[in-house]
Amino acid sequence: MIKITIGTGALALACSFAISANAQLVTTKHLSLPIAATIATTAMETCKAQGYAVSVHIIGDMGEVLVALRGDNTGPHTMENSMRKALTSRGTRLPSGQFAENVAKTPNAGALRLGNMIPARGALPIKVGEEVIGAVGVSGAPGGEKDEACAKAGIDKVADQLK
Amino acid sequence: MPKIHHLAAVSLATALACGLATSANAQLLQHKDLSSVIATTIALTAVDACKAQGYNVSVHVVGRNGEVLVGMRNPAAGVNTFENSWKKAYTSRTFRTPSGKFAENVGQNPVAGALFLANITAARGALPIMIGDETIGAVGVSGAPGGDKDEVCAQAGIDKVKDQLR
Repeated sequence: MIKITIGTGALALACSFAISANAQLVTTKHLSLPIAATIATTAMETCKAQGYAVSVHIIGDMGEVLVALRGDNTGPHTMENSMRKALTSRGTRLPSGQFAENVAKTPNAGALRLGNMIPARGALPIKVGEEVIGAVGVSGAPGGEKDEACAKAGIDKVADQLK
Repeated sequence: MPKIHHLAAVSLATALACGLATSANAQLLQHKDLSSVIATTIALTAVDACKAQGYNVSVHVVGRNGEVLVGMRNPAAGVNTFENSWKKAYTSRTFRTPSGKFAENVGQNPVAGALFLANITAARGALPIMIGDETIGAVGVSGAPGGDKDEVCAQAGIDKVKDQLR
Protein backbone atom coordinates (compact mmCIF):
# COMPACT_ATOMS: atom_id res chain seq x y z
CA MET A 1 0.00 0.00 0.00
CA ILE A 2 2.76 2.40 0.95
CA LYS A 3 4.62 1.43 -2.19
CA ILE A 4 1.61 2.21 -4.35
CA THR A 5 1.14 5.57 -2.65
CA ILE A 6 4.78 6.52 -3.13
CA GLY A 7 4.62 5.34 -6.69
CA THR A 8 1.54 7.44 -7.37
CA GLY A 9 3.14 10.45 -5.71
CA ALA A 10 6.25 10.08 -7.81
CA LEU A 11 4.16 9.82 -10.94
CA ALA A 12 2.19 12.94 -10.01
CA LEU A 13 5.39 14.87 -9.34
CA ALA A 14 6.92 13.70 -12.58
CA CYS A 15 3.85 14.85 -14.48
CA SER A 16 3.74 18.24 -12.78
CA PHE A 17 7.43 18.79 -13.48
CA ALA A 18 6.87 17.91 -17.08
CA ILE A 19 4.09 20.52 -17.25
CA SER A 20 6.23 23.10 -15.45
CA ALA A 21 9.12 22.54 -17.81
CA ASN A 22 6.89 23.22 -20.79
CA ALA A 23 5.10 26.20 -19.17
CA GLN A 24 6.02 29.64 -20.37
CA LEU A 25 5.21 33.11 -19.17
CA VAL A 26 2.29 34.78 -20.91
CA THR A 27 3.29 37.55 -23.26
CA THR A 28 0.60 39.98 -24.36
CA LYS A 29 0.45 43.45 -25.87
CA HIS A 30 -1.25 46.28 -24.05
CA LEU A 31 -2.33 49.81 -24.83
CA SER A 32 0.16 52.48 -23.81
CA LEU A 33 -1.04 55.74 -22.30
CA PRO A 34 -0.06 57.85 -25.35
CA ILE A 35 -2.00 55.55 -27.70
CA ALA A 36 -4.99 55.44 -25.36
CA ALA A 37 -4.95 59.23 -25.00
CA THR A 38 -4.81 59.68 -28.78
CA ILE A 39 -7.83 57.41 -29.27
CA ALA A 40 -9.78 59.32 -26.62
CA THR A 41 -9.00 62.84 -27.81
CA THR A 42 -9.57 61.88 -31.46
CA ALA A 43 -12.98 60.41 -30.63
CA MET A 44 -13.95 63.51 -28.66
CA GLU A 45 -12.73 65.93 -31.35
CA THR A 46 -14.46 63.96 -34.11
CA CYS A 47 -17.81 64.23 -32.36
CA LYS A 48 -17.15 67.87 -31.48
CA ALA A 49 -16.52 68.64 -35.18
CA GLN A 50 -19.98 67.25 -35.89
CA GLY A 51 -21.53 69.36 -33.16
CA TYR A 52 -21.83 66.59 -30.58
CA ALA A 53 -20.48 66.99 -27.05
CA VAL A 54 -19.30 63.62 -25.76
CA SER A 55 -17.32 62.03 -22.97
CA VAL A 56 -14.96 59.16 -23.69
CA HIS A 57 -13.45 56.23 -21.80
CA ILE A 58 -10.61 53.96 -22.83
CA ILE A 59 -10.60 50.62 -21.04
CA GLY A 60 -7.58 48.34 -20.95
CA ASP A 61 -7.14 44.61 -21.14
CA MET A 62 -8.28 43.92 -17.57
CA GLY A 63 -11.19 46.34 -17.68
CA GLU A 64 -9.15 49.05 -15.99
CA VAL A 65 -9.72 52.68 -16.94
CA LEU A 66 -6.78 53.97 -18.98
CA VAL A 67 -8.26 57.33 -19.95
CA ALA A 68 -11.40 59.08 -18.75
CA LEU A 69 -12.23 62.25 -20.61
CA ARG A 70 -15.17 64.50 -19.79
CA GLY A 71 -16.25 66.61 -22.75
CA ASP A 72 -17.33 70.23 -22.52
CA ASN A 73 -21.07 70.77 -22.15
CA THR A 74 -21.82 67.08 -21.75
CA GLY A 75 -24.54 65.63 -19.58
CA PRO A 76 -23.40 64.34 -16.21
CA HIS A 77 -24.26 60.73 -17.10
CA THR A 78 -21.93 60.62 -20.09
CA MET A 79 -18.89 59.76 -17.98
CA GLU A 80 -20.55 56.70 -16.44
CA ASN A 81 -22.18 55.71 -19.70
CA SER A 82 -19.01 55.87 -21.79
CA MET A 83 -17.20 53.82 -19.13
CA ARG A 84 -19.91 51.17 -19.02
CA LYS A 85 -20.17 50.95 -22.80
CA ALA A 86 -16.42 50.47 -23.04
CA LEU A 87 -16.36 47.87 -20.28
CA THR A 88 -19.23 46.02 -21.98
CA SER A 89 -17.35 46.05 -25.26
CA ARG A 90 -14.15 44.78 -23.66
CA GLY A 91 -15.99 42.12 -21.69
CA THR A 92 -17.91 40.74 -24.64
CA ARG A 93 -15.16 41.47 -27.19
CA LEU A 94 -17.92 42.98 -29.31
CA PRO A 95 -19.19 46.41 -30.24
CA SER A 96 -21.51 47.32 -27.37
CA GLY A 97 -24.22 47.86 -29.99
CA GLN A 98 -23.84 44.26 -31.10
CA PHE A 99 -24.19 43.14 -27.49
CA ALA A 100 -27.33 45.27 -27.22
CA GLU A 101 -28.80 43.59 -30.29
CA ASN A 102 -27.93 40.15 -28.95
CA VAL A 103 -29.54 40.62 -25.55
CA ALA A 104 -32.62 42.35 -26.97
CA LYS A 105 -33.90 38.86 -27.71
CA THR A 106 -33.00 37.58 -24.23
CA PRO A 107 -33.86 40.22 -21.63
CA ASN A 108 -32.99 37.75 -18.89
CA ALA A 109 -29.46 37.26 -20.19
CA GLY A 110 -27.08 36.77 -17.30
CA ALA A 111 -24.62 39.20 -18.84
CA LEU A 112 -27.06 42.04 -18.18
CA ARG A 113 -26.79 41.35 -14.45
CA LEU A 114 -23.03 41.73 -14.33
CA GLY A 115 -21.65 44.92 -12.84
CA ASN A 116 -21.48 47.87 -15.23
CA MET A 117 -22.66 45.98 -18.29
CA ILE A 118 -24.95 48.10 -20.44
CA PRO A 119 -26.78 47.28 -23.68
CA ALA A 120 -26.07 50.56 -25.43
CA ARG A 121 -24.31 51.29 -28.70
CA GLY A 122 -21.26 53.54 -28.80
CA ALA A 123 -18.24 51.44 -27.86
CA LEU A 124 -15.88 49.35 -29.96
CA PRO A 125 -13.25 46.80 -28.99
CA ILE A 126 -9.64 47.79 -29.64
CA LYS A 127 -7.88 44.92 -31.36
CA VAL A 128 -4.45 43.72 -32.37
CA GLY A 129 -5.37 41.39 -35.19
CA GLU A 130 -8.12 39.24 -33.72
CA GLU A 131 -7.08 39.82 -30.13
CA VAL A 132 -9.05 42.33 -28.06
CA ILE A 133 -6.74 44.43 -25.85
CA GLY A 134 -9.21 47.09 -24.72
CA ALA A 135 -12.17 49.17 -25.78
CA VAL A 136 -13.22 52.75 -26.41
CA GLY A 137 -16.63 54.01 -25.30
CA VAL A 138 -18.32 57.25 -26.30
CA SER A 139 -21.46 58.85 -24.91
CA GLY A 140 -23.23 62.13 -25.58
CA ALA A 141 -24.08 62.19 -29.29
CA PRO A 142 -27.77 61.96 -30.21
CA GLY A 143 -27.70 58.26 -31.07
CA GLY A 144 -25.42 55.35 -30.32
CA GLU A 145 -24.49 55.03 -33.99
CA LYS A 146 -23.05 58.55 -33.89
CA ASP A 147 -21.13 57.76 -30.70
CA GLU A 148 -19.80 54.64 -32.38
CA ALA A 149 -18.62 56.55 -35.45
CA CYS A 150 -16.48 58.74 -33.19
CA ALA A 151 -15.12 55.69 -31.37
CA LYS A 152 -14.18 54.25 -34.76
CA ALA A 153 -12.39 57.47 -35.71
CA GLY A 154 -10.32 57.18 -32.53
CA ILE A 155 -9.25 53.62 -33.33
CA ASP A 156 -8.55 54.44 -36.98
CA LYS A 157 -6.20 57.20 -35.87
CA VAL A 158 -3.84 54.71 -34.23
CA ALA A 159 -4.46 51.77 -36.59
CA ASP A 160 -0.80 51.69 -37.61
CA GLN A 161 0.29 51.31 -33.99
CA LEU A 162 -2.08 48.47 -33.16
CA LYS A 163 0.20 45.65 -34.12
CA MET B 1 -58.28 91.45 17.07
CA PRO B 2 -58.75 93.27 13.75
CA LYS B 3 -55.69 95.31 14.71
CA ILE B 4 -53.62 92.19 15.11
CA HIS B 5 -54.84 91.02 11.72
CA HIS B 6 -53.82 94.34 10.30
CA LEU B 7 -50.36 94.06 11.82
CA ALA B 8 -50.01 90.55 10.51
CA ALA B 9 -50.99 91.71 7.06
CA VAL B 10 -48.43 94.48 7.17
CA SER B 11 -45.76 92.06 8.33
CA LEU B 12 -46.63 89.65 5.58
CA ALA B 13 -46.56 92.40 2.98
CA THR B 14 -43.19 93.58 4.26
CA ALA B 15 -41.81 90.08 4.19
CA LEU B 16 -43.06 89.57 0.67
CA ALA B 17 -41.67 92.90 -0.45
CA CYS B 18 -38.29 92.09 1.04
CA GLY B 19 -38.37 88.67 -0.51
CA LEU B 20 -39.19 90.10 -3.89
CA ALA B 21 -36.53 92.76 -3.48
CA THR B 22 -33.97 90.05 -2.82
CA SER B 23 -35.17 88.09 -5.81
CA ALA B 24 -35.00 91.11 -8.02
CA ASN B 25 -31.39 91.67 -7.01
CA ALA B 26 -30.41 88.01 -7.28
CA GLN B 27 -28.38 87.04 -10.31
CA LEU B 28 -27.30 83.79 -11.78
CA LEU B 29 -23.81 82.70 -10.92
CA GLN B 30 -21.33 83.00 -13.69
CA HIS B 31 -17.89 81.49 -13.67
CA LYS B 32 -15.19 80.13 -15.90
CA ASP B 33 -14.39 76.44 -16.03
CA LEU B 34 -11.64 74.33 -17.50
CA SER B 35 -12.37 73.04 -20.99
CA SER B 36 -11.65 69.42 -21.80
CA VAL B 37 -8.93 70.52 -24.22
CA ILE B 38 -7.12 72.59 -21.59
CA ALA B 39 -7.55 69.85 -19.00
CA THR B 40 -6.14 67.26 -21.41
CA THR B 41 -3.19 69.51 -22.23
CA ILE B 42 -2.40 69.90 -18.52
CA ALA B 43 -2.59 66.13 -17.98
CA LEU B 44 -0.52 65.11 -20.98
CA THR B 45 2.10 67.77 -20.25
CA ALA B 46 2.43 66.52 -16.67
CA VAL B 47 2.85 62.93 -17.91
CA ASP B 48 5.47 63.99 -20.45
CA ALA B 49 7.34 66.22 -17.98
CA CYS B 50 7.74 63.31 -15.58
CA LYS B 51 8.56 60.89 -18.41
CA ALA B 52 11.38 63.19 -19.52
CA GLN B 53 12.87 62.79 -16.06
CA GLY B 54 12.47 59.04 -16.15
CA TYR B 55 9.31 58.85 -14.01
CA ASN B 56 6.13 57.10 -15.12
CA VAL B 57 3.11 58.78 -13.57
CA SER B 58 -0.66 58.74 -13.66
CA VAL B 59 -2.53 62.04 -13.65
CA HIS B 60 -5.97 63.41 -12.83
CA VAL B 61 -7.43 66.81 -13.55
CA VAL B 62 -10.54 67.68 -11.57
CA GLY B 63 -12.90 70.58 -12.14
CA ARG B 64 -14.55 73.19 -9.96
CA ASN B 65 -16.80 70.68 -8.20
CA GLY B 66 -14.11 68.09 -7.80
CA GLU B 67 -15.48 66.15 -10.77
CA VAL B 68 -13.01 64.22 -12.91
CA LEU B 69 -12.30 66.06 -16.14
CA VAL B 70 -9.44 63.84 -17.21
CA GLY B 71 -8.06 60.66 -15.67
CA MET B 72 -4.99 59.01 -17.18
CA ARG B 73 -3.65 55.68 -15.99
CA ASN B 74 -0.07 55.02 -16.94
CA PRO B 75 0.30 51.25 -17.33
CA ALA B 76 4.02 51.71 -16.73
CA ALA B 77 3.37 53.26 -13.31
CA GLY B 78 2.31 51.61 -10.07
CA VAL B 79 -1.20 50.24 -9.73
CA ASN B 80 -2.07 52.69 -6.95
CA THR B 81 -1.06 55.78 -8.91
CA PHE B 82 -4.37 56.21 -10.71
CA GLU B 83 -6.33 56.38 -7.45
CA ASN B 84 -3.66 58.39 -5.70
CA SER B 85 -3.43 61.07 -8.39
CA TRP B 86 -7.19 61.50 -8.22
CA LYS B 87 -7.26 61.78 -4.43
CA LYS B 88 -4.42 64.27 -4.45
CA ALA B 89 -6.20 66.41 -7.06
CA TYR B 90 -9.48 66.20 -5.14
CA THR B 91 -7.71 67.21 -1.95
CA SER B 92 -6.02 70.15 -3.63
CA ARG B 93 -9.29 71.38 -5.13
CA THR B 94 -11.16 70.94 -1.86
CA PHE B 95 -8.74 72.96 0.25
CA ARG B 96 -7.70 75.29 -2.58
CA THR B 97 -4.10 74.60 -1.72
CA PRO B 98 -1.29 72.31 -2.88
CA SER B 99 -1.97 68.85 -1.44
CA GLY B 100 1.55 68.98 -0.01
CA LYS B 101 0.64 72.12 1.94
CA PHE B 102 -2.45 70.34 3.26
CA ALA B 103 -0.22 67.41 4.27
CA GLU B 104 2.06 69.81 6.14
CA ASN B 105 -0.89 71.43 7.87
CA VAL B 106 -2.36 68.19 9.13
CA GLY B 107 1.04 66.66 9.82
CA GLN B 108 0.92 68.16 13.30
CA ASN B 109 -2.56 66.84 13.91
CA PRO B 110 -3.09 63.22 12.96
CA VAL B 111 -6.73 63.38 14.07
CA ALA B 112 -7.59 66.43 11.98
CA GLY B 113 -11.21 66.12 10.93
CA ALA B 114 -10.34 66.80 7.30
CA LEU B 115 -8.38 63.55 7.16
CA PHE B 116 -11.59 61.65 7.84
CA LEU B 117 -13.43 63.07 4.86
CA ALA B 118 -13.82 60.69 1.93
CA ASN B 119 -11.10 60.75 -0.71
CA ILE B 120 -8.89 63.25 1.10
CA THR B 121 -5.22 62.34 1.18
CA ALA B 122 -2.27 63.96 2.91
CA ALA B 123 0.19 63.51 0.08
CA ARG B 124 2.16 65.98 -1.99
CA GLY B 125 1.84 66.03 -5.77
CA ALA B 126 -1.24 68.09 -6.64
CA LEU B 127 -1.69 71.79 -7.28
CA PRO B 128 -4.80 73.93 -7.54
CA ILE B 129 -5.55 75.38 -10.97
CA MET B 130 -6.31 79.05 -10.51
CA ILE B 131 -7.63 82.05 -12.37
CA GLY B 132 -6.13 84.84 -10.31
CA ASP B 133 -7.12 83.97 -6.75
CA GLU B 134 -9.97 81.71 -7.73
CA THR B 135 -9.51 77.95 -7.72
CA ILE B 136 -11.27 76.34 -10.68
CA GLY B 137 -9.82 72.86 -10.42
CA ALA B 138 -6.67 70.91 -9.61
CA VAL B 139 -4.13 68.59 -11.18
CA GLY B 140 -2.79 65.59 -9.27
CA VAL B 141 0.23 63.47 -10.15
CA SER B 142 1.39 60.15 -8.69
CA GLY B 143 4.21 57.78 -9.55
CA ALA B 144 7.45 59.75 -9.24
CA PRO B 145 9.75 58.81 -6.36
CA GLY B 146 8.64 61.62 -4.07
CA GLY B 147 5.71 63.98 -3.91
CA ASP B 148 8.01 66.92 -4.63
CA LYS B 149 8.82 65.36 -8.02
CA ASP B 150 5.14 64.68 -8.72
CA GLU B 151 4.40 68.31 -7.92
CA VAL B 152 7.02 69.61 -10.36
CA CYS B 153 5.24 67.75 -13.17
CA ALA B 154 1.86 69.10 -12.03
CA GLN B 155 3.36 72.60 -12.17
CA ALA B 156 4.68 71.94 -15.69
CA GLY B 157 1.15 71.03 -16.77
CA ILE B 158 -0.31 74.24 -15.38
CA ASP B 159 2.51 76.35 -16.81
CA LYS B 160 1.79 75.00 -20.25
CA VAL B 161 -1.70 76.57 -20.29
CA LYS B 162 -1.10 79.60 -18.10
CA ASP B 163 -1.89 82.01 -20.94
CA GLN B 164 -5.33 80.44 -21.22
CA LEU B 165 -6.10 80.60 -17.49
CA ARG B 166 -7.74 83.98 -17.47
